[in-house]
Amino acid sequence: MNKLNITWCWPDILNLHGDRGNVMALVRIAEKMGLEAEVHKVVNFGDEIDLDNTDILLLNPGEFKSCEYIVNAFSRIKEDLDDYIYRGGVILAVGTTGASFGKTIRKLDGTAVTGLGYLDMECRERDSIVGDDLICKMRETGFDLNGSQIQVMDTFLNGDIALGDVEYGYGNCSYEDRREGARTENLIFTNMLGPVLVKNPWLAQELILWAMSSKGVMNLLKPDEGEFELERKSLECVRRYNQTKQNK
Amino acid sequence: MKRIWFTIVLWGSKFGLFLCRLLGKNGTYIAGAFALKLQKDFITHFTHVDPERTLFITGTNGKSTTNNLIVHALRASGKKVTTNLEGANLITGVATAMIRDSSMLGRVNGDYLIFETDERYLAQIYEQLPAKNLCVTNIQKDQVQRNGEPDFIYKKIAKVVNKDMRIFVNNEEPRALSLEDYAGEVRTYSVERHSKSFEKNGFYDVTMGCPKCNNKIAFNYYNVDNVGEFRCTSCGFHSRIQPDVQVTDVDFENRTFRCDGVSVHMPYDQPFFLYNYALAIAVCKMFGVGAESVSKSFESFRNIAGRLELIPYKTKEIKYIRIKQENPETLTTAFDFISQDKERKIFLIGLEQLEDFQPFYTNTFYAFDCDVESLLHSNIEHCISFSEAVAYDTANRLIYGGFPEDRITVIPSDENDDIFAELDKYDCDNVYLITWLHKYEQMMEDLPKYE
Repeated sequence: MNKLNITWCWPDILNLHGDRGNVMALVRIAEKMGLEAEVHKVVNFGDEIDLDNTDILLLNPGEFKSCEYIVNAFSRIKEDLDDYIYRGGVILAVGTTGASFGKTIRKLDGTAVTGLGYLDMECRERDSIVGDDLICKMRETGFDLNGSQIQVMDTFLNGDIALGDVEYGYGNCSYEDRREGARTENLIFTNMLGPVLVKNPWLAQELILWAMSSKGVMNLLKPDEGEFELERKSLECVRRYNQTKQNK
Repeated sequence: MKRIWFTIVLWGSKFGLFLCRLLGKNGTYIAGAFALKLQKDFITHFTHVDPERTLFITGTNGKSTTNNLIVHALRASGKKVTTNLEGANLITGVATAMIRDSSMLGRVNGDYLIFETDERYLAQIYEQLPAKNLCVTNIQKDQVQRNGEPDFIYKKIAKVVNKDMRIFVNNEEPRALSLEDYAGEVRTYSVERHSKSFEKNGFYDVTMGCPKCNNKIAFNYYNVDNVGEFRCTSCGFHSRIQPDVQVTDVDFENRTFRCDGVSVHMPYDQPFFLYNYALAIAVCKMFGVGAESVSKSFESFRNIAGRLELIPYKTKEIKYIRIKQENPETLTTAFDFISQDKERKIFLIGLEQLEDFQPFYTNTFYAFDCDVESLLHSNIEHCISFSEAVAYDTANRLIYGGFPEDRITVIPSDENDDIFAELDKYDCDNVYLITWLHKYEQMMEDLPKYE
């Protein structure tokens, strides 16, 4: 049986919004695809991250202050991370964690932190919070994605690197910008919580396909259409609710 | 001149309160809002305010109950207390309480000022009423649409704590205890391991980041979710071995515990109440009221912020457990409560969309912070998940936790007709209902027509 190696970074620290659900979803979908999923936890910021044995690197959202810690942790293995990304390794960075992969993180106290620089974007800490639903169409795949977002930072993209186009919601930095998240290679940043992979199992499936194809494993089983019926019905409910909620 | 203006505003506010009473309204914040609009520093002009005898109770969970307990115990021992028992915990609520309980010249009647204060508005209140004493019950995930992340609230509280302040903090809650770095005096309160304490060793169990070094906090055990004896796996920050006040020898069967050398009867026996009792005893001790006297007062204590209602419906009994939306602790407590009943039961759950303020939205991710495994072994015959927008997501959380999909009915609706029609299909009379207060009230309003 083919194996999918998932590295779950700092599960206790990057743990804001029930995000362990993302790991559960990856394991569940991987098994439906006939894979053996193995999850490796990285506990503390000083601990080793074994990228040689990683197919998907998962970073859930943490408190905004954690961005700096993430940058420092990966800076120590920057060359390995470069190799990982350019050989097609998958990274999912959810919420504030995504800022670490951008160019600059600006904090409310006026200071700035230089990010890892893979995503050409700048993130700025907000002094108030935006909480709302978010529905978008993922570029390239055409998938509908949905979730909620709790925005404690705004993200400004410098290039055409958005992950998706917003159908409803705030997205990266305003209700007008209409762009959500960012992507380069197989590194994805999304503002969507939910947990995002539970609510969008088709995204989990896509990430697994990317991860496995980057190590030469093709022709994987795809779960039946009916497998995700509950999630599709949920998406329709959420979409309908957001279309009509102004009347409440 | 300011003093004269204060007196005029006070009289106007008192008259407003009088009108509220005439109209049968509670008016827990209107008078204060009116006064603060006319005089921004209104609260600072009250007299007979002793910071040493002024106490704020803040934190995510347990504020109201602890406030009620402390006030009840102090009053039972003959102290005069000015307070905001109605849960109006913003600055307007505090001002209203002082307007209500003061003379026509603004002399506060209470010798002790005990106020529940909203975490986000603590600094604003402290600016006008510099209390010497601050209780922090816990700082946890809650109302993320307003609060974002716990660190957002932590920073707001930490900004107020200073070296001139005495803080009372939960010894087993890492964020609250870490405020010790900012305070002049720290009094810790604690609950010893008891028969309902538990450990978590599952693969998907997660804890939290250390508030001091942001590495992993490990809990030796939990007394309630996210609260228990802990140690940081990196910097060594840990719960104190000798807390100032500790609840020990907890006997749930006989509803007693020991604290400060006294055997205490507990009016409510859910584990999270133990921390409220410990804090009340710690505060009262500081105000010169001993544990024996506090214990006696508990015998007549009734919690006005109760979260359990029993409703007869046809041949059934519906046990309603109130939750706070976006608050994993109250949802976990509700799950635990249900799982203690091993009788056959129907479980109605409506986590509901969030409609407190705009924009309304459909967050259910806090359910993934809760463990649902206890429900699997609690003889739930069938689960009915309802709500216009989040019924499927709620059901999915249960399925991810191992609950059999074929024993869940999803009703993507908030129509009571649909919910009660589904409930009527089951002959089981033992029914548990979890939803937020507003939906519960709607259901109860309609209930007679289904009888």
